[in-house]
Amino acid sequence: MSPALLTVDDVTQVFPLDEGGHYVALKDIDLDIAEGEFISLIGHSGCGKSTLLNLMAGLTQASSGGILMNGRQITDPGPDRMVVFQNYSLLPWQTVRQNIALAVNNVMREASEAERRELVEQNIQRVGLTHAADKLPAELSGGMKQRVAIARALAIEPKLLLLDEPFGALDALTRGNLQQQLMQICQQAGVTTVMVTHDVDEALLLSDRVVCLTNGPEAGIGQILQVNLPRPRQRLEVMEHPDYYRLRSELISFLQQQRRLKQRKAAAPAAPEATPAAAPQGPQRLRVGYLPGLDIAPLAVAMERGFFSDAQLSVLPVSFHRWQQLEEKLRAGELDLAITSATAPLALNLGLDGQAAWPAITPMTVTRNGNALCLAQRFQDLNVRDIGSLAERCKGREWPLRLAIGQKGSMQELLLRHWLAGGGIHPDRDVELQVLSPMAMQAALLAGEIDGFIAGRYRVAKTVEAGLGYVLATDLDVWSGHPEKVLTCHASWADHHSDTLLRFCASMMRAAQICEDDGQHNGLVGLLSQPQWLGAGAALALERQFNLGNGEVSNERMPLNRYHGDRAHVANVAEGSWILTQFSRWGWSYFPSNRVELLSSVYRNDLCTQALEQAGFSALRPERHPFALADGRSFDQDDPLAYLRELPFAASSAVEPITLPAPAMTSPVAAR
Amino acid sequence: MTAITPASRFRRPSKLRRLQPGLRNLMPYLICIGGFLIAWQILSLILGVARLPGPINVIVETWDPYISQPFFDDGGTSKGLGWQILISLQRVAMGYGLAAVAGIAIGGVLGLNRFIGKGLDPVIQVLRTVPPLAWFPISLMVFQDANTSAIFVIFITAIWPIIINTAVGIREIPQDYTNVARVLRLRKGAYIRNIVIPATVPYVFTGLRISVGLAWLAIVAAEMLKADGGIGYFIWDAYNAGGDSSSSQIILAILYVGVVGLALDRLVAYMGSRVAKGGN
Repeated sequence: MSPALLTVDDVTQVFPLDEGGHYVALKDIDLDIAEGEFISLIGHSGCGKSTLLNLMAGLTQASSGGILMNGRQITDPGPDRMVVFQNYSLLPWQTVRQNIALAVNNVMREASEAERRELVEQNIQRVGLTHAADKLPAELSGGMKQRVAIARALAIEPKLLLLDEPFGALDALTRGNLQQQLMQICQQAGVTTVMVTHDVDEALLLSDRVVCLTNGPEAGIGQILQVNLPRPRQRLEVMEHPDYYRLRSELISFLQQQRRLKQRKAAAPAAPEATPAAAPQGPQRLRVGYLPGLDIAPLAVAMERGFFSDAQLSVLPVSFHRWQQLEEKLRAGELDLAITSATAPLALNLGLDGQAAWPAITPMTVTRNGNALCLAQRFQDLNVRDIGSLAERCKGREWPLRLAIGQKGSMQELLLRHWLAGGGIHPDRDVELQVLSPMAMQAALLAGEIDGFIAGRYRVAKTVEAGLGYVLATDLDVWSGHPEKVLTCHASWADHHSDTLLRFCASMMRAAQICEDDGQHNGLVGLLSQPQWLGAGAALALERQFNLGNGEVSNERMPLNRYHGDRAHVANVAEGSWILTQFSRWGWSYFPSNRVELLSSVYRNDLCTQALEQAGFSALRPERHPFALADGRSFDQDDPLAYLRELPFAASSAVEPITLPAPAMTSPVAAR
Repeated sequence: MTAITPASRFRRPSKLRRLQPGLRNLMPYLICIGGFLIAWQILSLILGVARLPGPINVIVETWDPYISQPFFDDGGTSKGLGWQILISLQRVAMGYGLAAVAGIAIGGVLGLNRFIGKGLDPVIQVLRTVPPLAWFPISLMVFQDANTSAIFVIFITAIWPIIINTAVGIREIPQDYTNVARVLRLRKGAYIRNIVIPATVPYVFTGLRISVGLAWLAIVAAEMLKADGGIGYFIWDAYNAGGDSSSSQIILAILYVGVVGLALDRLVAYMGSRVAKGGN
C-alpha cells in the first residue's frame, strides 16, 4: 500500500450534552487512507459517519487523538480537503458560475484571472452544466445542484474530496447517473475521496474500501471491506461480478447485525447501576471459579496482596478439578465469574456440544501462552523430533495417536488441532483426542493410556521432570501470544454489576503486573506454593528456565505465561474471530454470518479499557492489522472466510446466521 | 357510456374564464367592500349624520377642496391633504432613514459580536416595548423643538425591529454557508460580501418592513400632540375646529393615512424582494 495520505489516529469525539454529561460519538478510530483511494464510510444513521467526515475536513476537532494529512495534523478546515456537503451548500444568491468562481478566486490566488476563468468554465463543462451556468441554484434540480457542488469542489483541485451522503436526496435514476459520473471524474482527477453513505450498492460501486462503523454511542470501525472489483467499473458489469454479491451480503449482514444490536440495546432496560437497595453496604461478594494452574497467578496475587479488599470486593475463589463442573456452576449462577479457556465465551454463546446457548461475555484476557505439547518418552526414542517426523510415524501406525486435552473445545484443543493439521495430520482421522482432567494426564501417560497431551507449563514441566515425556511443541510453534485464559461471566450479570466487574478486573490487572515482574518473582513463588493455591510444586512450575526434556542442550525453553504488558489484557475481537474459524473448520458450528454482532457483544473490550484506566495503566487497543500465526498464514479479521477456506482440513465454510442468546437474566444470580 | 371528448368537456368553462377574467377576480372585493360601505351608511343613518357621517356624506362634504384639490395652499397650516401627507412623509423619511442606517449598523455589530450581542440584549428587549409616544416628552425636553422631536420619535420607534432582525439574520446564517466559507478559507471581506450580507438581507428587510409601519403609526400620533402641519396635525386640527364637515375631514384623513401606510409597507416589501436575489 502506498503511504497514507490521511491518517486517522486514535480519534475519539465527545460532545457535551445540554442537560449535562456527555455523548461519546466516536471512540478510538484508526484509519489509514492511501493516496488515490476511494473510501466509503457506511453505517446506520447516528453512528457518527458525518462526525468523522467533519473531523477529516477540520470543521471540528477531535476530543482526543488526531488526524494527519501528509504527516501534518489537521487543525482547521482548508481547501485541500474540500467538502461536498449533504445539502449541497450552494450560495443561493449566486449563479452556478459565481458559486464556482467564488471558490476558485479564493483558493487559486496565484493563477491569473484568465486562468481562473478558464478553470471555472472547464469545471462547469466537466459536470455538463454549461447551459445552466448563469442560473441560480433555486432554478436547478437536486441532481444539478449536486453536480455544481461537485464541480465547485473539484475546481479547486483538493487533495482529498469529502462527500457527505452526496446522493441521499436524489431519485434513483439521477443518483445512478451521478454515481457513474462521480466515479469517472474521481478516476480522471485521481483525487482521494472519502464518501459517507448508507447505500450498500453505492458504496460497492464506487469504493476501494468500505469502512463499516458500528452503532453509536462510542461508534468504532466494525469491519473494513476490501472491494477488489476491476476498474473502470460499470454499474451493470459490477453487479455481474461473482464477488459482488458476496461483498454485498457481507455489508448488508453487517448493517443488519448493527440494527439488531441497536434493538437489543433499546429493549434492554438501562442497567440499574448499584441501586442503594440492591447493593448492601460493605464489600461486594464475588464467587470466582478456576482450575488450578499458573493461569490463576493474578487471582492469587490479588487475593493475597489484598487488592480485592482494597477495591471493596470480597472474593471467594472456588477451585474445580474439571472444566465441565466449573461450566455447570457458572451456568447455574452459582459462580459470578470464572477464569475459563479463551474459547469458552464463544462456545457458551454458540451452545457447542449440544448445550443450551448461554450469553457469556468476556471483559479481559487473563493470560496468554503457557501451553506445551508433551509426548511420551518412547517417541523421543523413535526419533520424533518435530511435526514432520510425527506425521511420518502416524502414517505407519494401525491405531491413531492418542492425545489428551483438558477440555473439549478449549483453546488448547484448537492449538493442538491447528498444529497437527499444519503438519498434515488430521486431528479427527489420524488422532484420537481424549478429554482428561489435567491432573490425571501424567498418570495416564505413565499407564500408557495416552501417547501425549497438551497442557499448561505446570503440568508439562512436572511430567518432563518425572522423565515420562518431552516437549514436542510449544505456543511458539503454533501461535505466540495467543489468548489462553479469559474472564467469563453472564452478559446481564456484567450489565447489572458493571462497577463491581470493573473493580475486579482492575485488581486482576494490577496483580498481573506483579506476576510479570521479575523482581517480585520469589515472592510470587512463595505465594503460589501455599496449599490453597498450587502447592509446593508451583515453585518448580515457576522456574523461569524450563527445559523441553528433549535431551538437546539448546536454547529452547518453554515460553512463559504472559500476564501483562503489550496488550495482554485486551479482549480482542480479532482473536475471537480466529476462534470462530476454528469452530467452523472442525465442523462444530456454522460460521456465523452475523459474527460482528456476536463478537461485539461477547468481547467487551470497552470494559477492559475502563478497567485498565481504573488500574492506572494506559489502555492500548488491539491493532486492526492482520496477524500471522506460526504457520505463516495471515489472519485478517475482516475476511475470516478467506482464511478459513485456505486452511487444511477445513470441514466447511458454510455461513449461517446464528441467534444470539437473549441477555435476559435466566439464572438466579441476582437472587443470591 | 356516453363518450365525452375532452375538448367538449373543457371548452365551456375555459371560455367563461376568458370572457370575464377581470370581473371574476374583482368580485370578492366588490361584494365585501360594498357590503362594508352599506353597513357603514346604515350605521350612520341610525346614529345620525352629525355623529357619524356615512360614506356618501364624507365624499360630498370633503369634495371641495380636500379631494378635488389635494395641493392647495392657503398659507400657514391650511394646506391640501397632499401637502399634509408629504410633510408627514418627509419627517418619516428622515427618522426612518436614520433608523435604517443606525439599526443595520448596530444590528450588524450585535450579530457579529456575540459578547456585545448578549450583553445588550436585555436593554433592547426593554426599550423596544416602550410605546412611541412615551418618548415624545423626553425628546421635547432634549431637543426643544417639535419637528426634531417628531423625527426622533420615529427614529426611536423604528430602530428596534431593524436592530433585532439584522442581528438575528447574522446569527442565523446557515451553518452550511459558514462551513463553505471555512473550508474555502474566505477572507473577512469576502465572507461579509459574499455570505453575511446576502444571507442577512431578507432578515433586514423584514425588520425594515415592520419598522416602516411603526414609523407611520408614530408620526400620526406625534403630530397630533404637537406639530405644525402634517396629516396627524390635520386630523387634530379638524377635530378642534368642530365645523360641520369635521367628522368627514377626519374620516377622509384616516383613509389617506391607511392608504399611505399600506403603500409604504408594499414599497419596502418590493424593494426587499428585488434586493434579496435567489432567496433562502
